[in-house]
Parts: sequence; C-alpha cells; structure tokens
Amino acid sequence: MLLEIKSLDSGYGFLQVLWDISLSVDEGEFVALIGPNGAGKSTTLKTISGLLPPQGGEILFAGDSIGGMEGHLVCRKGVAFISEELNLFVNMTVKENLEMGAFTVEDSAKQKENLEFVYELFPRLYERENQYAGTLSGGERKMMAIGRGIMSSPRLMLVDEPSLGLAPMLTNEVFKSLRTLNKRGTTILLVEQNVGKTLKTSSRAYILEKGKIVLDGKSADLANDDHVRKIYLGH
Amino acid sequence: MASEHEYYVQKKGIAKFLDYLCLTPLGAIGFLILIIVPLFPPFNQDYLLRWFILAAIMGAGSMAFDFSAGYIAVVNFGFAAFVGLGAYTSAITAVRWGIPLPVAMLCGALASALLGLFTGAISLRMRGMFAICLTWFIGIALMGLAIKMVWLTRGMLGLQVPYFFPSDVSNLYYWYPVLGLSLMTWFILKRIARSHMGLAFKAIGQNMDAAKTSGINPTRYRIINFTVSCALAGWVGAFYAHFIGILTPDFLHTAKTVEFLVIAYIGGRGTLWGGFAVAFPFIWFTEMLRSNFDYLPGINLLIYGLILIVIMIFYAGGMAQFFQYLVDKYKDNPTVRWLTT
Amino acid sequence: MASAAIEPTIDESAIDKVEQTIENTFVQKVVRWVFSAAGITICLTILIAIVASIHKGPYILVNTIITGGMWALMAIGLSLLFSVMNIAGFAHGEYFMAGSLTAYFVMQPIGKYTLDHPESFITYVGPLIAILAGTFMCAILGVITERLVFKQLRIRNREGWLLNCFLITIGLSVIMQNGHQLIFGADFKGILAYWDFPSVPILGVYISMDRVCAFFIAALTMVGFYMFMMFSTAGKTIRAVSQDEEGARMVGISVDAVHIMTFALSCGLAGLAGASLLFMFPSYPTVGVMPLYNSWFIIILVGFGNVAGSIPGGFMIALFQVLTRSYFGEGWEAVIPVLLISLILIFKPSGIFATKVRTVWDQ
Ligand SMILES: Nc1ncnc2c1ncn2[C@@H]1O[C@H](COP(=O)(O)OP(=O)(O)OP(=O)(O)O)[C@@H](O)[C@H]1O
Ligand SMILES: [Mg+2]
Repeated sequence: MLLEIKSLDSGYGFLQVLWDISLSVDEGEFVALIGPNGAGKSTTLKTISGLLPPQGGEILFAGDSIGGMEGHLVCRKGVAFISEELNLFVNMTVKENLEMGAFTVEDSAKQKENLEFVYELFPRLYERENQYAGTLSGGERKMMAIGRGIMSSPRLMLVDEPSLGLAPMLTNEVFKSLRTLNKRGTTILLVEQNVGKTLKTSSRAYILEKGKIVLDGKSADLANDDHVRKIYLGH
Repeated sequence: MASEHEYYVQKKGIAKFLDYLCLTPLGAIGFLILIIVPLFPPFNQDYLLRWFILAAIMGAGSMAFDFSAGYIAVVNFGFAAFVGLGAYTSAITAVRWGIPLPVAMLCGALASALLGLFTGAISLRMRGMFAICLTWFIGIALMGLAIKMVWLTRGMLGLQVPYFFPSDVSNLYYWYPVLGLSLMTWFILKRIARSHMGLAFKAIGQNMDAAKTSGINPTRYRIINFTVSCALAGWVGAFYAHFIGILTPDFLHTAKTVEFLVIAYIGGRGTLWGGFAVAFPFIWFTEMLRSNFDYLPGINLLIYGLILIVIMIFYAGGMAQFFQYLVDKYKDNPTVRWLTT
Repeated sequence: MASAAIEPTIDESAIDKVEQTIENTFVQKVVRWVFSAAGITICLTILIAIVASIHKGPYILVNTIITGGMWALMAIGLSLLFSVMNIAGFAHGEYFMAGSLTAYFVMQPIGKYTLDHPESFITYVGPLIAILAGTFMCAILGVITERLVFKQLRIRNREGWLLNCFLITIGLSVIMQNGHQLIFGADFKGILAYWDFPSVPILGVYISMDRVCAFFIAALTMVGFYMFMMFSTAGKTIRAVSQDEEGARMVGISVDAVHIMTFALSCGLAGLAGASLLFMFPSYPTVGVMPLYNSWFIIILVGFGNVAGSIPGGFMIALFQVLTRSYFGEGWEAVIPVLLISLILIFKPSGIFATKVRTVWDQ
C-alpha cells in the first residue's frame, strides 16, 4: 500500500470533523473520494498533506508514519497536494511558480524533464510562461496548480476539486490530464463534486458523509449503487 | 461578553441603582474600599495617596484607551498625545483666560475630542495598522509642536499649571475628585457600550467585513468611538495637569502611551474595568521598583516590557480572563453569582 | 448552458487584447507611469530636490541621498518582516541601536590600533569589519527574538496575530531600550569618523569619506538584496512564503526556516543602517526612535508590504526632513512630514505605490 490511513480523527481546534476514517490507496491507483459539501473531504486531504495535525489515528505513506509530520516534510516524502484554493504564488510568474514546485527536486535534469512534461500537458501554461500567476484565468490557475504539483515528481498526488468553477470543456481537459498523469505512474487521490465523471475516471472510490466513510468499492460498482445513484447522480 | 445584552433580571432598589451605574456588587464593594481605605493609616500618608491618585488617573486613562482598543480594535498609538493635548489646553485656557478649572477641563476634553474627530476621519477609513500608524504620527507631531511652540507651552522648560487646591492641603482633597472622575469615565463608557451603539462597536471589532454586510457603517461608528475615547483621554489629562502642577512635552511621548497600553492589556482588553483594577498594583509595583532600585534606571520599564510580552504570548486575555475563569469555576456558588451579576 | 459559461472567457480575452494594444509602446507606458500617483510623487520629489538644491545649495541633495539610502534599508527590512510574517515591527529602531552599539565596541580597539599604525590596511578595512559585526550581531539578535518570542506565540495562539505581535514588538522595544540603558548607560557612544580621510569634493561641496561610503554601502546592499530576493533559491522561498504560506508548505518549503531567515535579514538590514551611520548618530538607548519613525513613514507612504517601493520612499522622506530642517529649523522634522503624509493619505489612502494583488494588512 502506498497510502494507508487507519482510524483517523481530525478537525479544527475543538471542532472535530473526521471520525475514524480508514482508507488505503495502492501504488499506481486512481482513487476518488466523494461526498456532499462539508463532509470533510478537504479536511482529509489537508490532514494527509500535513497542513492540519491529526487528532488521532495513523497515516502511513510507503510504510512510514507521516501523521503529524509538518507539511514541507510530507511533501519531501513524495506527496503533492493541489488544494481547493490552489495557493499559487500570485506575484510570481508561471515559470517561477513551476520552479518553486520543484523546490524539493535537487536533480536539475529531472527538473527540466518535469517542466517539459508540464508544458506538454498544458501548452497554455507554456504560452503564458512569463505572466504573473495572479493574472491567470480560473482554468489556467487550475492547470498551474496541477503543474506545480507535478513538478515535485510526487508518488502520490492529492487533488481537491479540480473542476470547481470550470466550464464543462475545461473540466474534461483537466480530467484528461489527470488520467495521463496516472498512466505515467503517479498515484492519484481525487476529491470531486462531479460524481458521474469521477466514477468514470477512477478505479476505486470512497464515499464520505458527515466525516465518516459510508461506502467504498470499485467505481463501476458504486456507479450502480442505489444510494449513490439517488444522492449523487440524481437518478 | 454578550451576556449583558442577553437578558435582564428585574432588579430592585440598590441593585437597580448599581445596575444603572453598570457596577456589579463586587465592583461596588471594590469602589467602597477605595473610598474608605485612604482614610486609615497607613494609607492616609501623603505619598501613598499620591500613588493612589496617579493609579486612578492611569486607570481612568487606560479605560478610555481600552474603549477603542478593546471594542473596535483600533489601538490609538498616539494616546498619550491626546491626553497631553487635554492637559495643555486645560492649563493654557485656565492661565490665559482665568476660567474656572472644571470648565477648563471641559475645554481640554473638547480639544482632544476635536483632534480625535479629525484623526479618526482621516485614519479610520483605513484599517488596522494604517490607522494605528496614523494615530501614532499625529501623536509624534503633537509632541513636536509642544516642544517647538515655546511661546505657548514653554517647551521643554515645562508649563506651570494652576493647582486645583492650595498647595498645602492633603492629597485627600484630590483623591475623591479623581475617584469621581474615574467612576464617571466608567459610567459613560459602559453606558455607551451597553447601548445599541456598543453592539455595533463590538461587531466591528470582531469582524469588520461581517459588520459591513449586516448594514453597519463601520467608519462612522469607529469615528464616534474614537472621538469619545479621545475626549475622555483629554479630560483625564486635564485633571492630571492640575494635580501635578507642571507639564512637559515628555508627557505626550509614545513611552507614555505604552504605559496606558500595558495597563489596559494586562488588565484585559475589551473589559474596561481590567485596566482600572490593574493600575493600582501596577503603579505601586513600578513606583516601588523605581524608588528601591534607583541605581538601576529604567528597570521598571524593562519589567513592563517583559510583562507585556509574557502576557501576550501566554495569556492574551489578561487579568480579566483569569477573573472570568475563576467566576466560571465557582458559578454554582450563589454568593459568587450575586457578586458578579 | 455550455455556451453561456464559455462566453465570459471570450469577452475577457478580448478586453485583455484591447488593453495590451493600448499599453504597447514604451513611450505610452512612460507617460502613463508619470501620471500615476507614484509617478507624480516621484517626479515632484525630484523636482523639489533640484529646486531646493539650487536655492539653498547642493548639500540638500547630498544629505537626502545619504540618509535616504539608510532609511530605505530599514524600511525594506520592516516591509519584509511585514509581508512574510505579518509582524508590524515597532522594535526595528532597537536593532538599529544594537547595530550602532556593536559597531562602536568593535571600532574601539580598531581605532586604537590604527592610531598607532596609520599606514596599516586596517585603516581601510577596520570600519568595514565594525559595520559587518553590527550587521551580524543584529541578524543573530533577530533570530533569537524570533525563536524566543514570535515562534512561541505562533505555536500557542494564532488569533489576533497582527495586534498581538504589534504589542509584543512594543514590549521588545521597551526592553531593549532600557536594557541598553541598564547595561551600557545613557551617554552617547559615538566615533568621530570611520574613515579618517580628507573630504571628497562632489558638486562643489565637500563630503566626508564616511558619507560617501555610507551611500555606497546602502546602494550595494539594495542591489544585493534585490538580486538575492529575485534570483537565489533562498530569496525565492522568502517571496513564496510572503505570497502564500500554505502554498509554500505544499511545495516543500520549511516555513520555519524562512521565518528565521526573514528575521535575520530584516534585523540585519536595520543593524547595517545603524552601524553605517554611527558617525552621524552615536549610540544611546533611544537612538533608534527616529529611524523607526522614518521607516514607518516610508511604509505608510508607499503602502504596506511594498518592498521595492521603500527605496524611492526612503529618499522622499529624507528629502522632506532635510527640507524642513533647512527651511523651518531643527525640531520641526517630526511635525511637517507628518502633515504632508496625512495629506497624501487623504487622497491616496493605501499609499502611493499600493498594489492590488494582496493586502494582508487589512485586518
Ligand atoms: N479552517 C477551518 N476552521 C474551522 N472549521 C472549518 C475550517 N475549514 C473547514 N471547516 C469545517 O469543517 C467541515 C468540513 O469542511 P471541508 O472543507 O473538509 O468540507 P468539504 O467536504 O471539502 O466540502 P466542500 O465540498 O464544500 O469543499 C465544515 O463543516 C467546515 O465548516
Ligand atoms: Mg472542500
């Protein structure tokens, strides 16, 4: 198992949001985490990536415990987190942002290779290489954030709602790039509201409601599950 | 905190009167102690009374300071200059035009209020640090003026100020007026804080954007609050002038602001009474340090700084937070409840 | 539905294009800048400086440039502290003081030695050693305060950070001022000159070697600082943290390390200013107050968190003060610049170089 979470509790101060979450992601998998607004999906990802200290339970990454480790150390272990807010460096150019993404990569050949891959994946970023990240459009920002995540050659990428606020066409593009990335060997844990598309793209999925995992299984099976169909797919 | 708005138990007689004065029974007892204690030895000695009076002045000043720092979260970093402006205005009007001192004190308050209004109008459109810095600059400018306008203030030589009472009387004569002044300051500030406007102040202090969206015009309320705070600062300063008898521009210095600020924050921001209560032990402590360690000049200030840092790191709520903690702990005890409501 | 969602993006790019064509030529850009708030003030400042220099003599320009550079250094440090850690540094003047104090004590034996050996190379290098010692001392002091104070607050309480830090820096300032008085006394600890050479004639005025050197130190430091921030990895991490702390953490930057670095840099710059100006401002407990005022004037004038804007700001403030001193006399320099700044702020409430992108100070 690349990522293994055992009975994780987490939250903000006195407010506990996650209750006894267990999930696991295998090397090379594309796993989705689905749930209604406020279920605690973002909280889960934040806790894994070390931005939020867990209140209990265990997080294992490639066999090492990373629960409670600081964010930058988790990143060095090979976890990239693309947050809902994107957290771009708005006063830096696209290129500088991407370079910062490769902060943990020492090998400059590897950096270059990653940069080329990102530009190949998102030609739009290449066109706007010298533009400030703060002036990018919403879609471009998403690409920028994903690109920055790729730059650190992560083993596991945590992606939080990449389709938020995007037109359907752009959403497709982003999903396509995630799939390409997965095929290239990066494990992905994706949080999404767009349940139909997500279940088509991912291999497995977990369903999180009110801070608890209520269902999990193969995406194809879940797409036919009554509960999922009624609540998330609307038919 | 919001409990004072939540419900009113119907009160009668003395309790009702105290409530009108915004005093809890415990507060009233404390106040009575302050009235009685200076009549008895050893506290009736003049130098101890002097310490009491200075503490009450600092306490009243820190209440006025806390009114804007604690309620609308605007730290008036030029506060001492507003206090000093009141002092100078009162002194100068009294000397030049020979008007009675209480009226002169009101002139002082008015001058500070006007300057506060002006400062507020230009600085309070901006937020946080901007406003703080502007008040600070105005304070610096005022001090510069006090130094340079020698024809009016006699600059660093110091301005002789008429005393309230003939110089041979006991300090007890000053004690009761200053106590009245403190109570008055408390009463005014607390009545405003309890009113509808006080609610708006608190809303603004906690979250300006939320307050804005709920239909409060933050700038207007902030300016009102700031002006009231400055007016009272001027008033307190005027009393100080006629008690101390001499005014130098040093009194407008940022270091003096820091004194008010330290007292208000150690007392507990946003409580008003915290600063007043803390002023007494605090002034005593620093005076003691100053007189016992006169070979270590500035040791008292150094300790101010340390206390401020430690409080800010470990216990940002100050003494009032500790008091509240005690009250909450013993809230089932009926005496405690009666004393504190 | 889909077309409705796409349409706005098309509109936006069209507007972008129109704006780009308007902006295109260099001359137009310059004209635009000149008529922006920043342009107007800078051009006006230069104009005033020139007119006053012709009227009162070139020393106005010289004094402005020498002190302005140093105030700019201090303001850069403050700005940095501000934009990276959200700390309003009211103890910055005390690092200036610590810098000058260290330089004084290091300069004592050096001065003695050069008195006996006037031909030695120490005559040239010694003062530089003293200045560097002041800088490093302050950098270390900065790191110590960060670890002992701000780190502790950060761990314990993140609510009301800006205000709490502001109060803490006030406490620090009081402690350092009175600490100085307790340990070293309140008297002036100064030197006559760092480089005891004949004055250099520039524009018909004789300028002491120290002033010339101070100017070059300031200029070199600014260039060095700019290069460091723009091109070095460490500088980039600092910028990254100032723009988005979470983002920085997400790409593997240790925010803790950046905080240490920021404090070292920011306090080091203040120390450098203090040490370089020791020949003008002897060290005493409250020597830092005036530099602190000045750097805050600058920050307010140019807008919060604007590191680059501190440089023209520094010269502007220095000019204000030199002018008030020579036209109104000593002692007015606290009053008249304040009035001017208030006036500017009435028209431009967020500073003359305020940028739209991020305003963390809005709390
Ligand atoms: N910084 C915070 N402080 C306190 N509570 C928070 C914070 N962030 C989120 N919460 C609360 O935690 C709960 C879960 O939030 P979370 O962001 O994880 O939900 P989510 O599943 O990602 O929802 P969405 O689909 O809307 O993004 C919510 O009730 C939210 O109000
Ligand atoms: Mg979310």
